[in-house]
Amino acid sequence: MPHVFPRPSEERLHARRTPAEATCPQCGSADVADYRVLSDGGWWDVRKCQACLHSLSRTPGPMFGSFEPLRPPGA
Amino acid sequence: MSLRDLSDARFAERYACDRFTATVLANRFRYVVEHMCAQLLTTAFSPILRDFYDFAATVTGAPAANYPTPAVSNSIILFTGTMTDSIRNTIEEYGVQRLQPGDVIVANDPYRTGTHVNDLLFCRPVFADGAVAGFVNLKAHQLDMGGAVPGGFSTTKRTTYENGLVLSPRALYRAREPVRETFSLIFDNVRFAELLLPDMITICANLDLGERLLTETIERYGVAAVHGAIEYVCDASAERIADGLAALPDGEWEGEAVLDADGVDAEERFVVHAKVIKRGDRAEVDLSGTSRQARTSINGTALDAKSTVGTVLKLLFDPRSPFTSGVIRPVDVVLPEGTIVSALPPDGPAFIYWEGTQALLTALLRAFSQVIGAAAFGGDHGSANLHSGFGVHPDGTPWAVVGAAGGEQGPYGATDAGDGEPFAIGTYQANGMSPAIEAIEHDFPVVILRREPIPDTGGAGEHRGGDAIVKDSVWFEPAIHNCISLRFREPSGFGVNGGRDGATGGVWIWEDEADHTRLRPLDAASFAGSTPMTGTLDPRTNAPDPAGEYVWFGRRPVWQTPAGGLLRYLTNGAGGWGDPLARDPERVRVDVRDGFVTVAGAARDYGVVIEGDPERDPEGLVVDGAATERLRRERHGGR
Repeated sequence: MPHVFPRPSEERLHARRTPAEATCPQCGSADVADYRVLSDGGWWDVRKCQACLHSLSRTPGPMFGSFEPLRPPGA
Repeated sequence: MSLRDLSDARFAERYACDRFTATVLANRFRYVVEHMCAQLLTTAFSPILRDFYDFAATVTGAPAANYPTPAVSNSIILFTGTMTDSIRNTIEEYGVQRLQPGDVIVANDPYRTGTHVNDLLFCRPVFADGAVAGFVNLKAHQLDMGGAVPGGFSTTKRTTYENGLVLSPRALYRAREPVRETFSLIFDNVRFAELLLPDMITICANLDLGERLLTETIERYGVAAVHGAIEYVCDASAERIADGLAALPDGEWEGEAVLDADGVDAEERFVVHAKVIKRGDRAEVDLSGTSRQARTSINGTALDAKSTVGTVLKLLFDPRSPFTSGVIRPVDVVLPEGTIVSALPPDGPAFIYWEGTQALLTALLRAFSQVIGAAAFGGDHGSANLHSGFGVHPDGTPWAVVGAAGGEQGPYGATDAGDGEPFAIGTYQANGMSPAIEAIEHDFPVVILRREPIPDTGGAGEHRGGDAIVKDSVWFEPAIHNCISLRFREPSGFGVNGGRDGATGGVWIWEDEADHTRLRPLDAASFAGSTPMTGTLDPRTNAPDPAGEYVWFGRRPVWQTPAGGLLRYLTNGAGGWGDPLARDPERVRVDVRDGFVTVAGAARDYGVVIEGDPERDPEGLVVDGAATERLRRERHGGR
């Protein structure tokens, strides 16, 4: 991951939700997506039902989101 | 199963203590942070700590529990939601295994710890049985952290390299011994180091106090009970927010708010867009549609956006209990990175972060106002209107005044419980203390001539929004002013449930050689001769006018007043609640008597006809009942 970022060229930005091949065990919807969220505990990479917001999975994301300090290997 | 329904046995099994002990410990955690704050307030050297309360304290749980926060201080809300993440990020990057008793770990990088570089985080690990049992922490504003602008409060810095010294996590003290190279790194790069040093020593002394109090607590109740109580407090917060969400119908609601411009030009305004998606007892807040990061230092980071979401949840669903890290648990924040409230380095310098998060707060309150009914409340003055002034005394001594002479204090919106307060202590989030006028005038070459409400500027409503506040100050030595007001294009004080929006304000200077120690009038003509700094103004009179033209604050690289110059701040008015025509006419009469509404405004905005002279005979005012009834009937279309 980078430690420097250019200013986005688009004037309005949108979060990306990637459709996932899965069925919600809670409501049965097939409208499930993978994306990154910020909540209790920091950043999470989640797979969530878009119909009922049930989390099918939640994996801790990178500590600083997309930003990663530049360091030498091993530091 | 709710916490209330847990049997005593299940409660003890889950939290390693009984309910009574958990409650005692919850209060004990608050006792710890409030004692740390009270001592720092009374011992700090910098006015921004001593007089403005620009710091916060927290207790944090163990790393193994992912750093839960059971207690935050009753200080500036802007800090509270970022503290959990900032401590986790700081300690994880530094390394838990490197910690030893008596360490103080510091960091200030906004992309790691939220807020801005001047807010230095101080973490003290608290040990029990040879392991890290938790932390006591203070995050405190430092008067300067280097960078291109003295004090740092500027909308003009274009990169993180101009923004100020960035400190990744490092030890300030190791085993209670100062780390020379860390102090040197800081003091070789900042202004006013001689003031920062005693402040830092004082802050660390307050960490000693917090460590002692938390250690005593652990020794008395046991580490398992303390950890259990921390978990309980956070679980209880999460449950109360979830219960509040569950009481709403499922749905999706959107809101927006605007920041006027950045420091490059007035061509690009910055929109904060929030969509609330609610299902059952959980929700998402999606900030898609928000503007890209600004070109100068008015950005905030994702941690600040998360903090604001937590603040709104607290305000709406759990206003009476303490803020904890559990508040945000029922909600996921979905935010594109690189926006004005989730900026990235180096081209998205984050410093004036609170203006963007205040816009986010407005957007969220607007979204929720569509579904929460009577619990919705009006918007506030919206901008911290933060002023910082600098100069050099005739003897060559530099001076700097921050957060004391601008429009920092302004009105709050109306609620279902009553009118909005005009003399609130800050915005809903930048709620620092209001420094004493006498202290400001004693310490700096300025006299505050007035600080008073302007009639008819609060949003009309069954409950009236607080009036805008005007503050005039005369500067007796040449002064440089950084004025940060980014909410004048649109009313920030939005009305709810039929209430009206508040008025917009502005900032002006008078640079001429006239005697400004005499009070100027407050009518539209009073702005003649001024140089407007910012606002949506009538170009002929310079007075506020919603149909006027936006005046960009960045027209001059530096705003200066000569000796004797005048500075005027006028905040936005706050939003009203409910139909103004439903306001009790007797309450309108009292408003006129008290100077919050004019006789003309009473008729125009409330349909109430007042007879009498509020200036010469305020107690002689009367409501003309028959005329009021006729006027209100006309306003209702003759019904």
